[in-house]
Amino acid sequence: MSALPEGGVRRRTLLRGLFAGAAALGAAPLLSGCDSPIAAGLVHTQLDTSTVAFWNLFGGGDGARLQTMLNSYTAQNGANSLTAATFAWGDPYYTKLTLATVGGQPPDVAVSHLTRMQNLAEADLLTPITDGMLASAGLAASDFNQNAWANQKRAGQNFAIPLDTHPFVLFYNVDVCEKAGLLDGNGQLKPIRGVDQWEAALDAAKKATGAHAVASASVGDYATPWRFFQTLYSQMDGSTPFLGDSGRSITVNQDLARKTLAYIQRMSTQGWLAPTADYAGAEELMFTGKAAFYLEGEWELTTAQAVKGLKFGMAPFPQLFDRKAAQADSHTFVLPKKDRTPEETQRAMGFIAAMLKQSMTWAQGGHIPAYLPTLNSSEYQKLEPQASYSEVAQYTHYDSLAWYSGSGSVFENIVGAQIALVQQRLASPDAGLANINSQLSPYLHAANPL
Amino acid sequence: MATIQTARSRRSITSAAAPASNTALNGKGARGFRAAAAVVLALLAVLWLLPTLWAIKTSLSSNATASLGAPAILSDTQLTGHSYTALLGSGDLWNWYLSSAITSALTVILTVAFASMAAYPLSRMQFRGRKLVFLLVVAGIMVPTQVLVVPVFRELAGLGLLNTYWSVILPQVPAVVAVFIFKQFFDGIPRELEEAARVDGASYWRIYWSVIMPLSRPVVSAVGILTFVTVWNNLILPLFTLSNPKLMTIPVGLATVQGSYGQRLADIQASAILGALPLVIIYFFLQRRIVEGVAGSGLKG
Amino acid sequence: MTTITPGLRIPRTGSTTSATARQKPRQSRPAWLFIAPFAIVYLAFLIGPTLYMLVASVFNTSLVQSGFGSFAGLGNYAEMLTRPDFWSAMWHTVQFTLYTTPPLVVLGFVMAVLTNRVGRGQWFFRLAFFVPFILPSASIALIWSFIFTPNTGLLNELQSFLGLTPTPVLADPAWAMAGVAAATVWWTIGFNFILYLAALQEIPRELYEAAAVDGATPWQQIRFITIPLLGRTTTLVVLLQIIASLKIFDQIYLMTSGGPGQSTDVALTFIANTAFTSDRVGAASAASVLLFIVILLIAAVRQLITRAQEARA
Repeated sequence: MSALPEGGVRRRTLLRGLFAGAAALGAAPLLSGCDSPIAAGLVHTQLDTSTVAFWNLFGGGDGARLQTMLNSYTAQNGANSLTAATFAWGDPYYTKLTLATVGGQPPDVAVSHLTRMQNLAEADLLTPITDGMLASAGLAASDFNQNAWANQKRAGQNFAIPLDTHPFVLFYNVDVCEKAGLLDGNGQLKPIRGVDQWEAALDAAKKATGAHAVASASVGDYATPWRFFQTLYSQMDGSTPFLGDSGRSITVNQDLARKTLAYIQRMSTQGWLAPTADYAGAEELMFTGKAAFYLEGEWELTTAQAVKGLKFGMAPFPQLFDRKAAQADSHTFVLPKKDRTPEETQRAMGFIAAMLKQSMTWAQGGHIPAYLPTLNSSEYQKLEPQASYSEVAQYTHYDSLAWYSGSGSVFENIVGAQIALVQQRLASPDAGLANINSQLSPYLHAANPL
Repeated sequence: MATIQTARSRRSITSAAAPASNTALNGKGARGFRAAAAVVLALLAVLWLLPTLWAIKTSLSSNATASLGAPAILSDTQLTGHSYTALLGSGDLWNWYLSSAITSALTVILTVAFASMAAYPLSRMQFRGRKLVFLLVVAGIMVPTQVLVVPVFRELAGLGLLNTYWSVILPQVPAVVAVFIFKQFFDGIPRELEEAARVDGASYWRIYWSVIMPLSRPVVSAVGILTFVTVWNNLILPLFTLSNPKLMTIPVGLATVQGSYGQRLADIQASAILGALPLVIIYFFLQRRIVEGVAGSGLKG
Repeated sequence: MTTITPGLRIPRTGSTTSATARQKPRQSRPAWLFIAPFAIVYLAFLIGPTLYMLVASVFNTSLVQSGFGSFAGLGNYAEMLTRPDFWSAMWHTVQFTLYTTPPLVVLGFVMAVLTNRVGRGQWFFRLAFFVPFILPSASIALIWSFIFTPNTGLLNELQSFLGLTPTPVLADPAWAMAGVAAATVWWTIGFNFILYLAALQEIPRELYEAAAVDGATPWQQIRFITIPLLGRTTTLVVLLQIIASLKIFDQIYLMTSGGPGQSTDVALTFIANTAFTSDRVGAASAASVLLFIVILLIAAVRQLITRAQEARA
């Protein structure tokens, strides 16, 4: 039933063509310019030395806003001034960035979480950013949120330029909160302070929804439980960083950690906190009025805005314990290590400055600008609901430094998974903490690869 | 069992063997059985075609329609090639096609050349170490190359070959199975054909090039096609060795580079179709060789 | 890795033994020259990496540092053998094998037997069943992930239509591996289909004719002629499937990245993550060696079974 006659002529011609084509391609680098991917692929020439290659990990609403910012850059600098590539969020992205730098063809500029750039810097994969380089792009250290700025430093050198701060915050359903009597005269959530006020609010909210008061993801998502835990834990006096000694020891205050886990479980046991919900499901509970509050990073603003007929507000996560605190991370720009001419460095810095100057566009997605001229602008101060939580950037707690820590890391996965079990009442706080300690131990004892 | 030497085998799977099989399975209850068999076969075929047809249908909708879900896609009658023009209009896909074509073609050439050269003395010559070489070839067949991706990466890094096509080509050239296939084929070529050339004083190289290889077209094309398909589809090696989006092969590009905004579901399905298209075209031209090559030597793994 | 079917036989019209030993010394040089190009790449990219893997497995080799790093002794092995996530990755690999092998064997057999009976249009069934096998895993993963999309995907719609509760297959730890397995069966069945089809056409039709004359029903013919005569092919298909399953990477990496949680993390995704995400080449090498040993053991078992079958034949 062959479609071809025996020893088909077409087939032979095709094969011959294939070989001839391959031979021609082999000779192509001799004929083509140095920007051709063929030349780069065969003899390892550098690609696109005249354009800024930029890598990022932004999808969804962030991706759309980034595209607007990139378009404005190319509108000013020409369509060929930039090649941007977006990779899948989290580990796949950082893996690609590491391999590209090790392999000698990194992008000129890349986005990195602040908690991840420290590891990239320790592995010697980043170019330090000098004050002179900042100045050449019209930037200065004093232009940035000092909390974020201090956290990107390493041995006195700058390795990243923060774009934003994205803390864990509280979303609330306006209609439900109104019914529960939790709003002030302006339709904003009344301030909640201390455990008593918080629990009173939860009781009222639970009555109003007839279901739960708070929703926070606990299934198929380990970052959210970690963010929740870190926020509560960091509010307690005496809380120490989770890991110490660059990740060689667990330094978390075990009593306070147990207390935090016990409190999360109490919220589930009391029926306030929805014990079992995945990322989208938790959000859905608040959107549909089955929960008054939803806990997540402020970036879920875009999703909430897209829900038809939903009236929602945002606020800092309330101070339940001794001090204000919230888990957070920052997106930053980094310069992967590679040979650069002064012009290329200048172009890369210019690109970063152009992005920072569009921080207002970026802020519309919920992120708090790290660039102070934007943060302090009256335009941003008037932006709602952003302005109602932007103070959080002053008391953020980043993840501890360790080669296996940071956003989307092994650390978040291990610790978050146990917290999620505690939230779901599938593990006691003691058992959860014991599991965290034992599951982290291979990483404590493994040689630091960085 | 079909053999690599398909050009000569009388009954091959793709030739019209049907009349023979048609007479099989007669006897009592044959009619009912035949009806049941036809229904089952038709159902399986529908089930197997459905995913591809669904991807094609989705790719011909707009992104907005595709994001609304299955009912919207199903009832959408306004077909548009927008996703295809958008993908083919941006440079990425063409760069990926180019990378895949170059790496696959060069690997085919090197594999066919090196493997057939190595197979020739194994089939025809007596020399010291022959047994050892043959043993290494057989042992090599068992080595799971995917498991070697970490050390191969380190080696390529050391050689400065990361982010070059060679990082995809060179590790795939030592396809031990190709040596084996060539040797088996050469063993079947009558020695008398070489005798005349040898009497004329031809060198081994000359005999290999002007006598053996011209007789070996079927096996060259079988090995060539199998190598081509394997290299074109390889994900794990180029995934880690090619990190520059302009140098990525089709599978790596599809797997790593995301659209930068929104849920472009129609575009994604169109990219899946476009990524698969070259192989479907090759299948239509070379289906006998491919099917028989696979039957003769598994591509598996 | 590619594998040869043991049934691959070429009629020997020439004689390999006619070359006599007297030529031996004179042939060594040209022989090695012929072998040299292949030998170089073989040593460089098969033997070399294998040795590197063995050495790195006893060092704290890092992805981002040059050299082997500090000596670790058997520390990496001890770590792997005591890590629950290593064992769960190995278990998921077995789980994947258990999910995919039976449907791949049974469906491949059914498809081949039925297609073999079709008089006209065999090309159509070869197209339907076989072509997915030669397509890139990336395309397969995109197509199937889309079918499994929670809430709006084709499967979701189909389940609602049938009155079932829709399953978010790839998002549910209990179902994710089954989802990957389904896509895999769809993708790779063509291989088994073709092997069975080839084997079927080797069965002499006289056998069936004789059985029909004796009054055997089609079922009996399949039961007593086809299945026993395809026994060797079935053994081959099962063993190749097991070996291929141990090396599964593409579908998992593309469809679930080992998630949700670690519910679909398999040996190779675990190794790749250890090496390329945690930057721990040494620890990943130790895990690779352990996997390597398992695969070699199964390959050896395959050789033994094949030999036993050949001895019987």
